[in-house]
Amino acid sequence: MPTSRRAFAAAAVAALVLPLSACGSGDDGGGSTDASGKVEGDITFQTWNLRANFKPYFEGVIADFEKKYPGTHVKWIDQPAEGYADKISADAAGGTLPDVVNVSPDLVAPLARAGLALDLDKAAARYKSEYLDGAWASHRIPGTSGTYAFPWYLNTGPLFYNKSLFKKAGLDPEQPPKTYDELFADALKVARQSDGKVATLANVPTIEDFGRYGVELMNQQGTGFAFDDAKGVELLTKYKELYDAKALDPQALTATPESSGKKFLTEAVAMNPGSALDLGNFKKQAPNLYRNIGITDQITSTGHVNMYVMGVMVNSRTKHPPAAVAFAHYVTDARNQMSFAKKVAIFPSTAGSLGDPYFTKEDGTDETKVRIAAAKSLKNAVNYTPVLFSEQMKTALRNEVAKALQGKESPKTALDNAVKACDRLLQQQG
Amino acid sequence: MADLTARSRVRRQLPTSPWLFAAPGLLVTGAFVLYPFLSTLHNSLTDRRTLIPGRFVGLANFRELLHDDMFWTGLRNSSLYVLGVVPALVVLPLLLALLVQKNIPGITFFRSAFYTPVVASIVVVGLIWVWLLDERGLVNSLLETLGIGRVGFLSDQWLLLLSAMAVTVWKGLGYYMIIYLAALANVPRELHEAAAVDGAGPVRRFLNVTVPAVRSTMVLVAALSSVAAFKVFSEVYLMAGPSGGPAGEDTTLVMLVQRTGTGLTGRLGYASALSVVVFAVTVVLMLLVLCADRRDGT
Repeated sequence: MPTSRRAFAAAAVAALVLPLSACGSGDDGGGSTDASGKVEGDITFQTWNLRANFKPYFEGVIADFEKKYPGTHVKWIDQPAEGYADKISADAAGGTLPDVVNVSPDLVAPLARAGLALDLDKAAARYKSEYLDGAWASHRIPGTSGTYAFPWYLNTGPLFYNKSLFKKAGLDPEQPPKTYDELFADALKVARQSDGKVATLANVPTIEDFGRYGVELMNQQGTGFAFDDAKGVELLTKYKELYDAKALDPQALTATPESSGKKFLTEAVAMNPGSALDLGNFKKQAPNLYRNIGITDQITSTGHVNMYVMGVMVNSRTKHPPAAVAFAHYVTDARNQMSFAKKVAIFPSTAGSLGDPYFTKEDGTDETKVRIAAAKSLKNAVNYTPVLFSEQMKTALRNEVAKALQGKESPKTALDNAVKACDRLLQQQG
Repeated sequence: MADLTARSRVRRQLPTSPWLFAAPGLLVTGAFVLYPFLSTLHNSLTDRRTLIPGRFVGLANFRELLHDDMFWTGLRNSSLYVLGVVPALVVLPLLLALLVQKNIPGITFFRSAFYTPVVASIVVVGLIWVWLLDERGLVNSLLETLGIGRVGFLSDQWLLLLSAMAVTVWKGLGYYMIIYLAALANVPRELHEAAAVDGAGPVRRFLNVTVPAVRSTMVLVAALSSVAAFKVFSEVYLMAGPSGGPAGEDTTLVMLVQRTGTGLTGRLGYASALSVVVFAVTVVLMLLVLCADRRDGT
């Protein structure tokens, strides 16, 4: 049968253009907040790069949950660490976000604002008392009234230093710096003694460094950034001195945490932040460094160390809210968090768990020493990274800090510009 | 009545079967080329974000581009990349092809060796070059041994861009060498022999016989490499880091598209506007190369 050219052209254009009309037709509705009812149905659970090392643990947790709640089935998906935020954003935009998702607070914020994260203050308030207050609060988003993820594991870590490099610089390897002033003085001495060949630090200051130095990061209302105050300028000025003296690695301007970790491993830098997890790496990959490893507390001017929080979010569009909420709670409850903490160097966010002898009793090993010190510091630790601080904002701050360190801008101008750029991005986030 | 007859004749001349044969290709092209392109054009006129549909904002994104320092940095670096890489990729692979063109024992090994970087993963290549050019890498150790001192290949804005260009040229040499080898195989041997009889030396023969014979291939290489160079991402991303070098000074336009448009807070509308600019510039580049070719040809 002959085909009309006009009809064919119209169909082709319609097939191509009609999907465009879908652009801009998103639904901002927040979905259901009712998680009461029978726990049943098939749900999906997404973790963040955990399958490789913890497959038996998660399979056990899922099997136990399915046994506890017959009629449920949990499909476990694990995504690689690289590009995790992009994977979530693709799923969220495409309507294929899993029912229960492993997130960090900065990932929750845009999802909550788009109405894709279940408000647990409404749907699961009965579980709130099981968690540390600070951990529960870490998934509150300024500008919204709810809490959008169960707190999962916490992490913090000490500052590692190379005793051998300290000794070569004429410093006492048993007396690591305890304050910022001591840190900066020691770093300058190490650079001077090594003729600029050994740097003490390998990373430019990030938002959490400003927080730990005592800089006010955001205004009280959470509507704008404020890290360009006198304290912020003071910190950046000191880093500039370090950079000029090569006490801050020359490649710090382009470094990532991974690359600076490698520099510490190869003994090119004298100090690096880390966690108990790193000790195993040092032992395996750099035995010489491990023999000379020194461990000291994070340096802070506020009395609070920095901590990282992981969460488990429930998709507000889930077809089975009772099962999704029950599973998210099950993964993060005291028993399962404790069991997970004994498999890897992380810390439970459930109330009372840090009082377990596992986190308080010395056995003479370095691993235990680090674990006990970290658990102790977590009791009043702070997640300094504001939940609204996006990747684009991190880049804006990093670029302005680099300009200040290179002398292209004064520290004050650089921080003013960074605040301006971050405020603009914050407004654009809506 | 006559009109009806004419219409049915036209219909007979437009049978269904050619359209059916073309349909799979049309559908694939429509779905994976035309639709994304139209979608990008549409998005560039909105303030769409990853999770928020956005509204029609007209040319606001393009106006914002004009006041965005990072856009100008990206445009500068992408343009410099074209200027730095394209001449090298037009000339060096031709010289390499002339070297490996000869049929002498063991030449296959060299042809394969020169082609190896082409098939190597760009991520692996990038990491290897980062290790080589690191402050404590092999190249710097060598320079220090020679008394020159360490060079900040990965910490200086311009050296970093030059290093990335060197990697692009190194990786692309083999690919374009293969294209030139095919072109050189078609150059009539008699022309070289005639030139030699006339007393032309190797340089003269290269300039007067080889170059004119492979001129259209050189234009093709220039067109392909200039588009690829303007859209450079991997080499600079791997060597300069996700922030685009110190203070983002080595950011290219495509890196800026990636940084602006990805993640949960990505600005898809603005990133689409950047993509439209990249598209427009690459079209202009192609036209410039083709115009230059036509002018030389006449």
